[in-house]
Amino acid sequence: MAILINENTKVIVQGITGKVGSRQTRLMLDYGTKIVAGVTPGKGGEEIYGVPVYDSVKEAKEEHRIDASVVFVPARFVKDTCFEAIDAGIKLIVLVTEHTPVYDAMQIKAYAKTNRTIVIGPTTPGIISPSEKIKIGILPGNMFCPGNVGLISRSGTLTYEIAANFCEGGIGQSTAVGMGADPVVCTNLIDLLKLFDEDGQTRVVAIVGEVGGTEEEIAAQFIKEKMSKPVVAYIAGKSVPPGKRMGHAGAIVERGRGSAESKMRALREAKVKVAEMPENIVQLVKEALREI
Amino acid sequence: MRLHEYEAKEVFKKCGIPVPEGKVAFSSEEAVRVAKEVGLPLVIKAQVFVGGRGKAGGVKFAKNLKEVEEISDKILKMDIKGYKVEGVLVEKRLNIEKELYLGMTIEGSAGKPAVIVSSEGGVEIEETARNYPQRISSIQVNVFKGLKSYEARFLVKKLGLKGERLFKVSNILYNLGNLYRNYDALIAEVNPLVITTEGEIFAADAVLQVDDSSLFRHPELQAKAIERIPDELEREAKNVGVTYVNLDGDIGLICSGAGLGMATMDMVRRKAKPANFLETGGGMTKELMAGALRVVMKKKNIRAVFINVYGGINPIHEGAKGVVEVIKEDKIKVPIVAKALGNRQEETWGILEEGGVKVVKESRTSKAIEELFRILKERE
Repeated sequence: MAILINENTKVIVQGITGKVGSRQTRLMLDYGTKIVAGVTPGKGGEEIYGVPVYDSVKEAKEEHRIDASVVFVPARFVKDTCFEAIDAGIKLIVLVTEHTPVYDAMQIKAYAKTNRTIVIGPTTPGIISPSEKIKIGILPGNMFCPGNVGLISRSGTLTYEIAANFCEGGIGQSTAVGMGADPVVCTNLIDLLKLFDEDGQTRVVAIVGEVGGTEEEIAAQFIKEKMSKPVVAYIAGKSVPPGKRMGHAGAIVERGRGSAESKMRALREAKVKVAEMPENIVQLVKEALREI
Repeated sequence: MRLHEYEAKEVFKKCGIPVPEGKVAFSSEEAVRVAKEVGLPLVIKAQVFVGGRGKAGGVKFAKNLKEVEEISDKILKMDIKGYKVEGVLVEKRLNIEKELYLGMTIEGSAGKPAVIVSSEGGVEIEETARNYPQRISSIQVNVFKGLKSYEARFLVKKLGLKGERLFKVSNILYNLGNLYRNYDALIAEVNPLVITTEGEIFAADAVLQVDDSSLFRHPELQAKAIERIPDELEREAKNVGVTYVNLDGDIGLICSGAGLGMATMDMVRRKAKPANFLETGGGMTKELMAGALRVVMKKKNIRAVFINVYGGINPIHEGAKGVVEVIKEDKIKVPIVAKALGNRQEETWGILEEGGVKVVKESRTSKAIEELFRILKERE
């Protein structure tokens, strides 16, 4: 078991003929992901690594069963691309593209909700489930290993590092999800916590948060009141100066909100153990597993 | 991208939000010319990208032309919290009867725009929220339909306004909602909205922050976006294509990924001070890494550079070539320590080691940082 995806998930790649799209298709196929089709308007009929390309999601849907889509199109086309997938009835969209306009993200989030579609991102590195041999997105497969820790992260490369630290410490992941670090993300931290809490494979959940927004604070309330599985966390950005945008569009401490201290305080109040350094989260997970 | 008050007011005026008569000036002579045009008494306001300008002496009243000249000359020479004053807005002074607050922002977790109004204008909304939450009313806006007129009236009525004032202020709020949408704003704020003793209504101050990711829809703003980054190194880095934040230490940092960059910064901070935050983004090339290292080395006091990159979406072996090239061409003498993992890591290590970089083959950033400090100590 895993959350969101499993070994039978059939995936299409929107933007498959682009530089990033085609390269990442190769890497996903190598990992074991079942990619059934790609979509690039105007490139219908071509093939990328044996994957047939269609002009529209609708045409791909006529030929294949599709459970999920991964989006690599440039930011200005993201809204239309997601709407197309939602209208075609796809229920999971992994939106990798960076710099999506915030207003567009808000509209995608609202439209997805109305149509009961889950959109992960924007700016997500994706989802990976090592025991199911599937990854959707850009996460490097060799940094992850199968196990029973659910990993939720706001960032990309820091997730890889923590996953590698986990694997070296003998701790694998049930599923790792990058939720993205824009001011508006389409799936909130709390939604992912709920999924992990219900997942049979997951025993402990690790959150890798960062400065900006109030996702961790809201999640802390949920953990305190509803969550049955233990949660541990690391928050990046303790030394971030206020008012500066730290690479991620959402990573900014402004107007008295979003500081690392505020997040760590809220999580600790919810009895979540918070690591001082990324690698220390491994020890916290080990302790949590012992205590179950 | 944050607009200056005078630029925001031009937008507001165009969108049906009345602003006081006035103009921006970039010299005291120009300020006097504006004063003659607009008429006395006036308020002179520093145009600067930092809050708290009033307390710092950046907002003053002028009763006569001599004062206009003196005050604007003084304000134009000011530095407020390290930010250069870039102009003065010379405006007709208002006779204030009442001050209100109207604002729009994003409710991040809900993923919806939010409208906030308060009967307490002229103070920061966060402060009112803390001290007098009962004076604030707020609603979330449907992201497809935008703010509706009746919603604006509903909110403004809660401020205790009646009759014609209720209609006028609601109309201003409705226009603010449209402006917010049309300009892809993250924050649009009128604080204060002034009702004068003569019964007129003006946006006495205006804040407009536009979403950087939406600038392709606003070419007139996009052209200005880079040139107005106040810090020279941050501006230069933007031209290279990386995100750089200038900090006050002496350990240079180059990281791929914002989360990893912040975590690295936090860990270096346990023992020393980072000179900068630098995030390469997902489009690494040889040229990009060369440019990044050159920007980092621009500060004279750099004691060492730490590179922390992952080859996921990024070709780190290409980046390594850029680093090595700059070390050679610019004759860099300070120690450079790198941790580089992921696709083609062995090739990357080879290139870096040959170029004189100490490579730490370890997945824990903290261990690589320890190595950096060990090398620094050895050199002392």
